[in-house]
Amino acid sequence: MSCHDFGPDSGGRLKGVTIVKPVVFGNIARYFGKKREEDGHTHQWTVYVKPFLNEDMSAYVKKVHFKLHESYSNPNRIITKMPYEITETGWGEFEIVIKIFFLDPNERPVTLYHILKLFQSPLTVGGPPQTGRVLCSEAYDEIVFQEPTLLMQHLINSAKPITNGPWIHNTNFEEKKEKMLQKIVTAQPKVRGEINELKERLQLAKETIAKFKEEIAKARTQMTIQNDGCSSMLSGL
Amino acid sequence: MADILDILELEQPASEISRDSIIHGDKVKKKYVTAKAVKRPEGMHREVFALLYNDNKDLPPLLPTDTGKAYKQTKAKLGMRKVRKWVWAPFTNPARTDNAVFHHWKRAADEAKEYPFAQFNKQVTIPSYSESEYNQYLKSEDWSQAETDHLMDLCQRFDLRFIVIHDRWDRAAFRDRSVEDLKERYYGICATLSKVKTNPWSNTVTMVNGEKRIYHYDAEHERKRKEQLRRLFDRTQDQIDEEQMLITELKKIEARKRERERKTQDLQKLISRADSGNLPPISQVNNNNEGTSTPSNTASSIARRHDRKLHKKKLTAQQRPVRTVESVTVEWSGIKFPEARGTGVWLRSQRMKLPPGVGQRKTKAIEQELRLMNIDIAPTPTEAICKHFNELRSDLALALDLKNALASCEFELQALRHQYEALNPGKTLTIPPSICNMVADNETKPVGEIIDVVGSPSAHNTTI
Repeated sequence: MSCHDFGPDSGGRLKGVTIVKPVVFGNIARYFGKKREEDGHTHQWTVYVKPFLNEDMSAYVKKVHFKLHESYSNPNRIITKMPYEITETGWGEFEIVIKIFFLDPNERPVTLYHILKLFQSPLTVGGPPQTGRVLCSEAYDEIVFQEPTLLMQHLINSAKPITNGPWIHNTNFEEKKEKMLQKIVTAQPKVRGEINELKERLQLAKETIAKFKEEIAKARTQMTIQNDGCSSMLSGL
Repeated sequence: MADILDILELEQPASEISRDSIIHGDKVKKKYVTAKAVKRPEGMHREVFALLYNDNKDLPPLLPTDTGKAYKQTKAKLGMRKVRKWVWAPFTNPARTDNAVFHHWKRAADEAKEYPFAQFNKQVTIPSYSESEYNQYLKSEDWSQAETDHLMDLCQRFDLRFIVIHDRWDRAAFRDRSVEDLKERYYGICATLSKVKTNPWSNTVTMVNGEKRIYHYDAEHERKRKEQLRRLFDRTQDQIDEEQMLITELKKIEARKRERERKTQDLQKLISRADSGNLPPISQVNNNNEGTSTPSNTASSIARRHDRKLHKKKLTAQQRPVRTVESVTVEWSGIKFPEARGTGVWLRSQRMKLPPGVGQRKTKAIEQELRLMNIDIAPTPTEAICKHFNELRSDLALALDLKNALASCEFELQALRHQYEALNPGKTLTIPPSICNMVADNETKPVGEIIDVVGSPSAHNTTI
């Protein structure tokens, strides 16, 4: 089946269908070991977007825009084929805007933001940065196609595996996901317990306020009976 | 080239041969030599040197040469009219009784006129009274007639300058009286006499001082006023400092009170929002209250039941004339995350963004709580994590709201207790410890705030 079969009116969407395609994006960086004489660059880095699963994204992705820092010559880089990555050299960290365009023009592009990371976080800084050690900073996100067009669904489903071997990432996201979920789920009942307790105390506080007000009203009426002038002076205070 | 060398006073290279040097060779050389002859001595200022040797090399003139009329003053002309004459003339002051003659300068035209400052010699008319009038109207236990006469005499003599009258008071004959006493007596007499004598049946003078309105002198007020001024003046530096401190403290307390009121209003808004059919978050919260994961239909039934209960509460609250803030028993919604959009592509991580309605302060507070629980503020976005993470943050927001509400309630309790203590000295109201004490365990901040609201001056550093 070719794209042409769906025709220009492929805007019709598939009700109730949701396709989730997880992606991994980020950068790796390598220190030269010294400051390069000619331009002062210190690192070589590669920024990339890749599928989390062993599937060829180019089946449904038209192109990926990488917007680099403006000091780079032509900072808007466009990649149309796998792998979606750019290798550059530099000396500083900055935010890279990654925009993924899909083959079906009816689906709007999605935008990812990544802070290019060249230096180890302060915790691990012990000595000078080591030469050749590759630093990796990557994140996981999910592209959700909610009620995709027929064309889009077809394109997504036609994605083929990238390799026959295992498709591995630098970060073990499966483990990370599981741990995170565990943490959040255990935190929830604690917070809810706290909420309940707070509510009870608040209730008590409200009741006490009402009680106090009554007491004050009582005291005030007594006061007025006893000494009119005095109480008016006090309430004036 | 040659110019620069000239300026720098460098020796011109003799060997330089150019068209110019061939044509004007001699001239250039001569000029250079003369310039050298009048070289400015070291240390002499350029300006001074320029006076001695100008371009023409003339000597400066020995006599001033400017004899023109350019700078001469023209005669000042101030008016169009003719000048009027002044004369040294004698005058008498009608204010004086001794007919003394003095001299002064006056315009010749004004010769005939009276001394102009005589009009400012105003005489005060002091009311008088006869013996019978005194006995009839003016008798006083405190004042004898002799003393009153003495007062009226002094008033006449010193034109009601009571400070002077007080100073000249005959302390040998009468007892010492304050300025207020004197004034009180004098104005009292005036008032009585004017009242009595303006009456038509009175056969004496009908008008006193030509006044119809009676001036009432409030001696008690004057005494208090002067006492107040005296006290104000007698304050020591310590007292002034303390007062200043108290004023700043008061301002702080008032500012905090306003803040609290603002917060209560915000809460009120929140509550009314929750009231007006914002059911989903309420039902969710309620669900949590039951502690079990009930299916949605039971959850909604609980919500409805709760809603009814809530209505009843509201009704009873309306019957009692208490402020609306007190009738608050409503649940608060946490954060309402936007519903998933209909169609299209989106990123899971977008679902975890806090909606723009959540303020920066609250966001910060939530992030702080998450950090305390060792949870990443931007966890890996999967569907399950996204859902639970949003729920957790919504709960945290709710908990924060509740804590704030509790803190303002406690503040109100404190205020009420102080009010009660002021009304009923010696008695006090006890705030149930579970309202406030447990706050200290969970969160130290509000307690700190409360302590300094109560206000020991030494603690005020922490409030800033």
